[in-house]
Amino acid sequence: MKILVLIKQVPDDVVKVSLSDEKTPDIKNIEKIVNAMDTYAMEMAVREMEANGGEVVVASIGDKDEIRPSLVQEIAVGANRAYIGNLDVSGADEAALSAELLSFIRKIEEQEGSAFDLILTGKESTDEISSQVGALLAEKLSVPFVSSAIGFTKTDAALIVKKETEEGYDVLETTLPAVLSVTKPEYDPRYPSLKNKMKARKAEIPVIELEKAENKVTLTGYDEPAKREAGVKIKEKEAQDAVQKAMAILKEARLV
Amino acid sequence: MKTLIYIEIENGNIQNGSLEIMSLAKTLSDPCAVVIGSDVDNASDAVSAYGIPVIEVPCDKVSDDAEVFILNQIIKDEKPEYVLFAGTLKGKDLAPRVAARNDGACITDVIKADTENGVFTRPAFGGTVLENLKFSADTLKVMTVRSGSFEKLTQGEKAEVTKKEYALPEDALKVILKDSVKEISEKVDLEGANVVIAGGRGMGSKEGFAMVEELASLLGGEVGATRAAVDEEWTTRIHQVGQSGKNIAPKLYIACGLSGAMQHVSGITSSGFIVAINKDEDAPIFDVADLGIVGRCEDILPVLIDEIKKLKGL
Ligand SMILES: Cc1cc2nc3c(=O)[nH]c(=O)nc-3n(C[C@H](O)[C@H](O)[C@H](O)COP(=O)(O)OP(=O)(O)OC[C@H]3O[C@@H](n4cnc5c(N)ncnc54)[C@H](O)[C@@H]3O)c2cc1C
Repeated sequence: MKILVLIKQVPDDVVKVSLSDEKTPDIKNIEKIVNAMDTYAMEMAVREMEANGGEVVVASIGDKDEIRPSLVQEIAVGANRAYIGNLDVSGADEAALSAELLSFIRKIEEQEGSAFDLILTGKESTDEISSQVGALLAEKLSVPFVSSAIGFTKTDAALIVKKETEEGYDVLETTLPAVLSVTKPEYDPRYPSLKNKMKARKAEIPVIELEKAENKVTLTGYDEPAKREAGVKIKEKEAQDAVQKAMAILKEARLV
Repeated sequence: MKTLIYIEIENGNIQNGSLEIMSLAKTLSDPCAVVIGSDVDNASDAVSAYGIPVIEVPCDKVSDDAEVFILNQIIKDEKPEYVLFAGTLKGKDLAPRVAARNDGACITDVIKADTENGVFTRPAFGGTVLENLKFSADTLKVMTVRSGSFEKLTQGEKAEVTKKEYALPEDALKVILKDSVKEISEKVDLEGANVVIAGGRGMGSKEGFAMVEELASLLGGEVGATRAAVDEEWTTRIHQVGQSGKNIAPKLYIACGLSGAMQHVSGITSSGFIVAINKDEDAPIFDVADLGIVGRCEDILPVLIDEIKKLKGL
């Protein structure tokens, strides 16, 4: 199978983002990493290739110099090749982004000389958390879509996908080409070896110029959520004393 | 102008989030509910009791593909301005597809609506930042709504139920369900719970986590967990609270041995009263706690459990 994994570079998700003086998310000084769920998609694709052959191509849209490190990282993880779609997507909504991805994919396929069998995205990104892009892209491509994929296998005629559900998982059958959005499977993404990292650093990554698509949603501004005030903090040597104090407060508030 | 509401049915009942989007719909424009499924007469009846007209579509083989197709047909007929979904896994699967098929736009996880100005607010960056968004005027406006953000609608005068049938073309059904595996059999209603007791990595072991479960059962509450506790397999995924779990709004939330990572805290900020027990005085969970107890869970929880037992005469 020829698999395309679409990744997004995001601010490190362990760092708390707040608003700057200009009332925009202050992410300048936060290290940029590959979106967590995209790294699962990548690992899933590379495992498939290792087991059954095929190819894995990784691609992302953004400023060409800024996003290169993320693509290099995924080549080190195991992608055969990478493509950069050079476009400032900082203000793009999901509708615009999926339109831009569509034209990006068409251009990659042109350069590759063949179409992809399977396209993987992360289920959601840690910055925007909208879980839309995979679904929008599948609709634009008029191909089957399964969200929350935790695994897949190809049979002679079909693609079998495991989709995470509330109580377990569904086993779904569909045809290729298809788009899957990937959520956390049972395994973690691998750490690339130093050797692979060194090699990837030298990789030539073609840059494809893209045109901006139109937004259907505009941002009128940012806010910070109402802060919850920290209340009483009890610090006692003896658990007994701490619990007595806590119980008094809980009883007073009629919570127990 | 109309607002279509996609109603989700759970074991024959209207899902909580669907009741919440009904009240949002009423503030937007003429609401009209859509109920899709086999054997949904009771559900449609129940929805109509809220004073919202219902379009009922019988469908034996419900799947995302089938529902997207049906919703699309209804949108062609009714020409709504808005289409609302509860922010469930299913809602989030259907909403963007419905938007794309109509060249519309979709906003995920709406938590606040300024209907007068058409501005909708949603969380980003793990819930630490809120975005205020406006749809372009001439586009189909699709939203998923985060659970607990709007009051549930109360019943009103009974409205009409209209049955509509749509033939599903073969080529609309691209994904076929082969098997549904249930690994988790318990029923957990975190979103509707008044009391949630949650445990994190600090519970140390499955046995330690059992104290969280005991306290929850004593207080008649549900058990919540951080992703770390789920990864440790002290409890199942269905208990996870936060960004990739449930958003909850209990009256009382007790956080035991969890640090308060933003992906967890974003799911609990609508709680009435937050209690945190943590041995690390500087744990971020204390910043959002109404009542913090600095101490080790293995010391605090047994005493707390005893006190609650005494109080309940047990
Ligand atoms: C995309 C993404 C989505 C995520 N979604 C979620 C989500 O939905 N829900 C979620 O919870 N997490 C989520 N996470 C993970 C989240 O970032 C944190 O890693 C996780 O919440 C940490 O769990 P924890 O607090 O149990 O563990 P830790 O952060 O390890 O905290 C353990 C705490 O226990 C305390 N402790 C230790 N021993 C004791 C003791 N004996 N007594 C008392 N206190 C003790 C420590 O002081 C510490 O504060 C997500 C992460 C990502 C990247």
